[in-house]
Amino acid sequence: MFIDTCILLATGAIAAIATFFVSERLAQGPVRSSAGLSLLVAAFFYFFPHSLGPFLTKNIPVVFIGASFVGMVSARLSSSYLRLATAGVLFCLIYLNTSSFFNGYGGALGTTASISLLAVLSLPVLNIKGRLTNGFRQLRKAIYGRRQR
Amino acid sequence: MNWRKTGRRISVYLAGAIQALFLFMIFRENTHSNWISVTVILVSVLLFIAHLKLPLHHDDHLYEHILVAVWIPIGATTGYYINNDLHLGPVMAAGIVGTAGSFLPVLYKRSAYLKQLPPAIYCGAFIGMSSLKVANGFLFVFAASFFAGVLLVSSKSLFHGMGGKLGLIAFTGVVLTSFFLFVLSAYVH
Repeated sequence: MFIDTCILLATGAIAAIATFFVSERLAQGPVRSSAGLSLLVAAFFYFFPHSLGPFLTKNIPVVFIGASFVGMVSARLSSSYLRLATAGVLFCLIYLNTSSFFNGYGGALGTTASISLLAVLSLPVLNIKGRLTNGFRQLRKAIYGRRQR
Repeated sequence: MNWRKTGRRISVYLAGAIQALFLFMIFRENTHSNWISVTVILVSVLLFIAHLKLPLHHDDHLYEHILVAVWIPIGATTGYYINNDLHLGPVMAAGIVGTAGSFLPVLYKRSAYLKQLPPAIYCGAFIGMSSLKVANGFLFVFAASFFAGVLLVSSKSLFHGMGGKLGLIAFTGVVLTSFFLFVLSAYVH
């Protein structure tokens, strides 16, 4: 089970990176990139259903298409492969623990992808100096100020 | 009253509310697991920061042309048919419809209209990924496509270039349709 989960996490990362690469670097556009790659993966498991175990056969295509939505991001927002891979992994983590309430709802994968992508994209914002800083600066000043005293 | 500004705000708040609802349902079903609860809270905080700080929206509020949005029901019904009637599954359905749609601009490369169709068709295909348990017929698919179409038209300059935007629009359409059907059935009974 642990190995299966690791394979799905890797699938998430690879799907996000591959989609972005085909979309931006090979200039195929986000829709063709996401749909085309997902179709290839889904067709493989459709025609060779016994190539892997039932858990992976069922979930790899779903994780792949979901994480490919992450890779549909424009280069204006993110062009870092590391960030995309992280968002793909986060997508997979949310997917594996997703609510059964929304089972079978079309677009749920896209919503998960948007959440994981935005969460990862917001991380650099925290590191940029001068943003979210007034509170943090004063806190740091207070801590270091006390230490210096 | 500035209708454009109001429409823009409603679209952004609706998208945020749907994402929050999605995370809340995960949190609610996993209260027994500390690490899932902590992860969901952390992701919620990061999501909130992203909505506040990231340059997700254009300043000018633009509308998608309605003739683009009419391709949503076409993508949705085709996807739904492949998924539930041909039993090829949701991923194959979205893959086939999306890939076919992405080649439409090749038919006439100088057409600006054809270039705008692939996202609308792919958005429709996500609605078609719904299972029979949720979408029990083509009427449901058309209703969800209508809501998704309205959102696609009004959100042209919102969440620009964000991965998952089309899925979020499709999901909002499906959730709104399910909600209205639930209210309607409760009222009828």
